[in-house]
Amino acid sequence: MKSAFLFPGQGSQRPEFLHELSKCAAVSETLEEANDLLGESVFNFHSKEALASTKAVQISLLTAGVAAYRAFDLERIQPDVVGGHSVGAFGAAVAAGVMEFKDALKIVGKRGELMEQAFPVGYGMGVVLGLEAHQLELLIAQTVDKQYPVFMSNQNAPDQLTISGALPGIQKVLVEVQQNGARCASLLNVSTPSHCPLLSSVSDTLLKELHAVSFNPPSVPYVGNRNARLLFTPDEIRQDLAESVSSAVQWHDASSVLYENGVRLFIEMPPGNVLTRLADRAFPDAKALSVTENGFDDCLFVAERQRLKKRKGTNYIW
Amino acid sequence: MVKHMDRTKRSWTTRQDAKQKRKSDVRNLVDGMVIPTDRIIEAMEILIQPGDRVVLEGNNQKQASFLSEALARANPNILFDLHMILSSISRPEHLDLFERGIASKVDFAYAGPQSLRMAQMVEDGKVTMGEIHTYIELYGRLFIDLIPSVALVAADKADRFGNLYTGPNTEETPTLIEAAAFRDGIVIVQVNELIDELPRVDIPGSWIDYVVVADEPYELEPLFTRDPRHITDIQILQAMMIIRGIYEKHEVQSLNHGIGYNTAAIELLLPTYGESLGLKGKICKHWALNPHPTMIPAIESGWVDSMHCFGGEVGMEKYVEARRDVFFNGSDGSMRSNRTLSQMAGQYAVDLFIGSTLQMDSEGNSSTVTRGRLAGYGGAPNMGHDPGGRRHSTPAWLNMMTSDEPLARGKKLVVQVVETFQSGNKPVFVESLDAIDVKNDTGLATAPVMIYGDDVTHVVTEEGIAYLYKIDSMEKRREAIAAIAGVTEIGKTITSDKIEELRRDGFVAYPEDLDIRRSDAKRSLLAAKSVEELVEWSDGLYEPPAKFRSW
Repeated sequence: MKSAFLFPGQGSQRPEFLHELSKCAAVSETLEEANDLLGESVFNFHSKEALASTKAVQISLLTAGVAAYRAFDLERIQPDVVGGHSVGAFGAAVAAGVMEFKDALKIVGKRGELMEQAFPVGYGMGVVLGLEAHQLELLIAQTVDKQYPVFMSNQNAPDQLTISGALPGIQKVLVEVQQNGARCASLLNVSTPSHCPLLSSVSDTLLKELHAVSFNPPSVPYVGNRNARLLFTPDEIRQDLAESVSSAVQWHDASSVLYENGVRLFIEMPPGNVLTRLADRAFPDAKALSVTENGFDDCLFVAERQRLKKRKGTNYIW
Repeated sequence: MVKHMDRTKRSWTTRQDAKQKRKSDVRNLVDGMVIPTDRIIEAMEILIQPGDRVVLEGNNQKQASFLSEALARANPNILFDLHMILSSISRPEHLDLFERGIASKVDFAYAGPQSLRMAQMVEDGKVTMGEIHTYIELYGRLFIDLIPSVALVAADKADRFGNLYTGPNTEETPTLIEAAAFRDGIVIVQVNELIDELPRVDIPGSWIDYVVVADEPYELEPLFTRDPRHITDIQILQAMMIIRGIYEKHEVQSLNHGIGYNTAAIELLLPTYGESLGLKGKICKHWALNPHPTMIPAIESGWVDSMHCFGGEVGMEKYVEARRDVFFNGSDGSMRSNRTLSQMAGQYAVDLFIGSTLQMDSEGNSSTVTRGRLAGYGGAPNMGHDPGGRRHSTPAWLNMMTSDEPLARGKKLVVQVVETFQSGNKPVFVESLDAIDVKNDTGLATAPVMIYGDDVTHVVTEEGIAYLYKIDSMEKRREAIAAIAGVTEIGKTITSDKIEELRRDGFVAYPEDLDIRRSDAKRSLLAAKSVEELVEWSDGLYEPPAKFRSW
């Protein structure tokens, strides 16, 4: 039995969430480090007003995830594998020792900026429940024209999918899917068409930025957003971090690959429990915990017990 | 007679010589037949060679987990290009072998627990696909054109002569060993313990080359335990229809059940509903089945004459031992299973197979595949088809004859039981199976259909039973399936007049046609409503694994 640390992406934040982190040395040191790196208090980024900005959301999500990861690390709890959803992947990369927090923070800020600037108005995302990917793809192809492009983006569960693109096109698709069997379809409160080819220039810039910082071999495998494979080399992880923003996040497949690799304990770093709920539903016989929901101490207790029970020699072979 | 001049030059013992060479290369590493636990990887790196065909024991229950983990840790510069043969690709390291470059090709029967990674690695070119088989096909090919050079298997106990005790979990071990041992392959067995005197010898030591004591007992999954708490009223209604409209109607005496909750419901209804119909001793007497805990009430009530098992079931050991009139037990008392023979019995010797599926098309073809996954078959297609070469007759088999031609034959009953919608509101009845897309996406030679429509004799839903064996036209077949497909798109294609006609002609039966009141289908009919009650029925002999204990 292996354990995975999961790092949530945009949508999991709520106002003032950095105050909910557990009170321990690792957390306060990480917050201070973030303050130093940002040149201002990281708490400036998590207020209700500030969270209207994608850049602020991404900076505070990364800080929360890394702070919690370091708290586990201090207690000598390391996961067997890591994965993050969208911007959460940067937290996963830091946890796997691939990137340093300071570099990740800089690049995540840049990522947020680029995403905000790419399509300032008229674009966004929607969510569709109750259809499968091949059904949704067919409906998009039938509904959408070049003027208002729409793409299927994230696959969070087999029947929980997102679409990204131009708002008029998204509206058309949302109406169409509801007439064709979707249980629910609605617009997301996001102003960027994330995870679709419209953002490929953002990926190009990010790749250059990522080449300018140092990358190390991961201490544990990292599961890729784009192709749902375990990645073992710095190059593959760099590529995934850059291209994820303009590619669909294959979250269901990525977490399924973790499960098939023997992960039976998922611990979601703060904030929120989005990934915990998805894992609960997809893998009924695995244990999924969220630091926000279950508390750091309970997660630590379960992780320690799991470490004791773990078969010797079931760690990954490199 | 034409005499070849170079006849004397050929050696006829090259395989044996090669084996002896390998064995002599490890002689300093082993102690007689025993490989020290901590030197297993080294030993494997000598005894196995690049390009070897390696059969690794791993089916859906018992796993040679110590050996598979050790093999996955071998040095890929020394061991590479192996051709793996696995009944079931279930454990992460089964595919780590390919990820690390130790193995390159695979032939298998089932890959459910690794079906996404399997699909990905085929796509990435890390796995070269052989074929996807049914269990019997794979076991058969071990003796024809997939003869293993090395067999890596698991046993409970060994003595210092290499004799093995495999007991209730004998499963496929003897088959895999036999294929290697008698063609100069090398047989390595992981054992839970090495002892002086075995309870009995399941496999003789002369078939074995090496034993190694595993650091932990082999993995064993309680795969056939269904908690009666999860059985629904709809499944009970289906079970009543099956007992009445199939088992009683055709006098089904020998059978195999799938592992779903709907078949568990049948098992738990025999001592209650079945008894009330006076069917004890008339149906369901002989079984090819694992020791399902949900069979305990029927066994205790005297329904079951005999039961041959593919494998064991965790927690059922003592119960099975204490009911030796029913099970196949050795002189020591414990059961002996045999997956190959039970699969063959389930294929040829029984009256009926019943199982569930995820998708069925309008002609009765069914499949359990999901897009983007490569899961294979296992044993269901062996049992879920009519073996055309069968000769022996039974009342049920003869009952399937639909003509009085002089050469008319009977048929095995192949029953598919489904609810019209799966979880998530997905219709089971569809125009086109996902299996066809999977074939196109993965380049398989044939679409991965689990049970072919022309083998299916009955389809059961919560609406009723379609008696497909009576029907000879494809059009009528579609109508009968539509008549029980509820409010799925397929179900909407038929009019109520047509349904009346099909019921009148006996092609379809609804519960009321079988004198079953839907309102009677209640959980109170179950002989046991929880695992705890199964334990009570067993006089405390059944010892359920912790995850099934709620008390």
